Amino acid sequence: MPPPLNLLRPARAIAFRPKPQVQWRLRPSMRTTPSQFRFYSSPSGPATPPAADRSKQPDAKPLDHVSEEAQKTAEIMGRAGPEPAKQGTPIAKVVEGDKEAQEKLPKVMQDSINAKASSAPKGSRSYSTSTTPTSEGEMDLGLVNMDPSTMAAAEVPGVKFGMPTLPLPKDGHVKHRYDDVVEQVTNLLMRHGEKSKAQRNMAFILQHLRTSPIPTINPARPLLPGAPPPSHLPLNPILYLTLAIDSVAPLIRIRSQRGAAGGGVALQIPVPLGQRQRRRTAVEWILNAAGRRRNAGSGKDGFAKKVAEELVSVVEGRSGVWDRRGGVHKLGVAARANIVLPRKR
Amino acid sequence: MSSSTCIRRFSRLSLDRTAHPPIASRSLLATPQTSCFSTTAAQHASAQGKKGMAAAPKRGARTLNIKKNKKDAAVAKKPAPGERKAARKRIVLSNNNALEVETLTDMDKSTALANKHEGQVKGIPDAVVDALRAVEAFKRSQGWSMFRRPATLIRKETTQLAELMSQAEGGEEGKPKTVRRILTGERLNGKSTLLLQGLTMAFLRQWVVINIPDAMDIVNAHTEYAPLPGSQPTQYSQETYTATLLSQIAKANDKVLSSLTVTAAPNIPVPFPAKGSLKQLAEAGVANPEASWSVFVALWNELTQPGRPPIMFALDNLAHIMRNSDYLSADVKPIHAHDLTLISHFVTYLSGSKLLPNGGVVLASTSKSNTPTVSALDFSLEVAEAKQYSPNNMPQWNPYKKADQRVIDCLKDIKVLKIAGLSKNEARSIIEYYAASGMLRAKVDDGFVTEKWSLAGMGNIGELERASVRLRL
Repeated sequence: MPPPLNLLRPARAIAFRPKPQVQWRLRPSMRTTPSQFRFYSSPSGPATPPAADRSKQPDAKPLDHVSEEAQKTAEIMGRAGPEPAKQGTPIAKVVEGDKEAQEKLPKVMQDSINAKASSAPKGSRSYSTSTTPTSEGEMDLGLVNMDPSTMAAAEVPGVKFGMPTLPLPKDGHVKHRYDDVVEQVTNLLMRHGEKSKAQRNMAFILQHLRTSPIPTINPARPLLPGAPPPSHLPLNPILYLTLAIDSVAPLIRIRSQRGAAGGGVALQIPVPLGQRQRRRTAVEWILNAAGRRRNAGSGKDGFAKKVAEELVSVVEGRSGVWDRRGGVHKLGVAARANIVLPRKR
Repeated sequence: MSSSTCIRRFSRLSLDRTAHPPIASRSLLATPQTSCFSTTAAQHASAQGKKGMAAAPKRGARTLNIKKNKKDAAVAKKPAPGERKAARKRIVLSNNNALEVETLTDMDKSTALANKHEGQVKGIPDAVVDALRAVEAFKRSQGWSMFRRPATLIRKETTQLAELMSQAEGGEEGKPKTVRRILTGERLNGKSTLLLQGLTMAFLRQWVVINIPDAMDIVNAHTEYAPLPGSQPTQYSQETYTATLLSQIAKANDKVLSSLTVTAAPNIPVPFPAKGSLKQLAEAGVANPEASWSVFVALWNELTQPGRPPIMFALDNLAHIMRNSDYLSADVKPIHAHDLTLISHFVTYLSGSKLLPNGGVVLASTSKSNTPTVSALDFSLEVAEAKQYSPNNMPQWNPYKKADQRVIDCLKDIKVLKIAGLSKNEARSIIEYYAASGMLRAKVDDGFVTEKWSLAGMGNIGELERASVRLRL
């Protein structure tokens, strides 16, 4: 929801008072934010463990761990005690590979060992058919960001305009100022090196997405997990485009290795694709499907219109591109035995 | 039955080789060779033999199949004639996805000409939107299709125009005036939009609005023309165009024209009721295009009677009517645009040789795209600008250029309204409107506004729109 803006009171509102609580960020869809997860090992808040010694009287203090006590004793006596590195060997490590010992462990530890052995829940695939970008952080849903922490600008001596706020905006670099997806799709739309035409077509596509009615999502064709509600999409056409492309992007491609299977049959080997490759494949499928659409009108924006309609139909789950993705994935699952992984040393 | 068979056989007789003239014997292969007195059609193989009937390919052999990817002939329905053009020319004035701007208020009659709204974005009331649509004031290249409903920024030049319009209405003294102005400015600086704002204010003030949406359409010889009888030198009237213009006038000024009745029987070649309204008069011209010019003249006479509302007479893309039109005269000479009746009518009032007795504004806008270069017009505008803004630095006529004396004469003492870039406050106002509509996803602060204002060439509003809301990367 947009914050109320004083639109029609220019004389006062134009006094340029930045409102700290209003933060509209024009950001590309990917953003680096600190992870929301906390590892079990990482300290939380105060550096002391929960069972820390808080009492003042020495006789009320809890006893140390056995090995720590031994070390302290050794220190007092001036002898070599047990090395700190060797202390506290986890029991799971001790009983590793020992079936008999494992059976005698308490139930809790047995469960944890079992859980570690099979991390995937029962009845589900051990592989994923969707992906979330990992390296670049979570997906920007285009929601208004309320982050007042960046407002406090410290006085730095010798810096005329103050220090830049970190992280630097992703569009700050002149060569990467536009969204990656938009740039990639523009280049894929380009024919005969006519980039300006491709850019015009891209603008038409985004404008079409912006003005087209809110899409209805087909539950049989789910979009990426974490996608915003469909009502948010037309107001953020770049996200709309990204979502359509990333949702139908295949995870793998099938490489046909000749002579590997013997008997003149090519061996089909599934090969994982990187994010850019996946998008490229998806865009090419979408462009192919758009090219087969019937021409509805006339004029120079005909192809762009068809591409935009195909993108909408992808999000609505009507497009044939979904079947194509499903086919590739099915083939990949069938051929997964052909993957030769490098031998572990 | 037998008689009909006989006739058929006799007709076959002509196929006899002797019946053909000797010249036909050269093309023996071309003539159908049938035995005479036979009803059997010729079925023998042609001399070359049938093509593509070689021996069947062997089993399992690969054959070249070039037609593999041939699309099956789509039996899709083709769009009806004119449908594609209608889709191409369609003007969309709303975007249902855009957010409603709660603080947006409409212009209204009482405050339309006041200057207290300067620097604000104001909505156009629905009734006026319909009227503006009727006079084709909205252009496809303008960004109306991005927002929930049409709204415009009341900029400094808009208040200047409003001031002129209140002078034309008579102001405090109550003496109506004829204001003549030409809108000039850089490309994408909002000339057509300012014209539209002028029309909006005129509609709100219940003036009579006559708008020629694009002067190119009058002179490009796409509509029929005919010499006006009894005119010296010969003038040419355009019946279809005038009839269309009359229908636009009748539709857009529905309320005003319905309330006015004719004062005298109009001099038109079609029957007309004695106390008919002016709207009926205009519609008479629509119904009888051959009488449309005389109806237009009669309507104008009625509108210039005392006690009638002021007139807003506007035209966009002025350069097209300042040179020869694409029409040809009877002796195959190009017809000057000023010899077309509608244009000469407009030019008479633009040049000030006739005045509007009830007051009004004659407004013309230049265009910087799809416009011919008319050196006389450019020079006249330069002179007019220099007179108003820098009287010490008058331009000199380049003697190596051809001068169109008619153009120079008609623009002798014209004044211009020069449209400059937005101020930063105005830019902030419109950018905040973009953001509130949900079309711009950014934090609108001082730095952002300044950045966009600079990117837009110091506040060129079209470029500002491109830089901030259009997604052209």
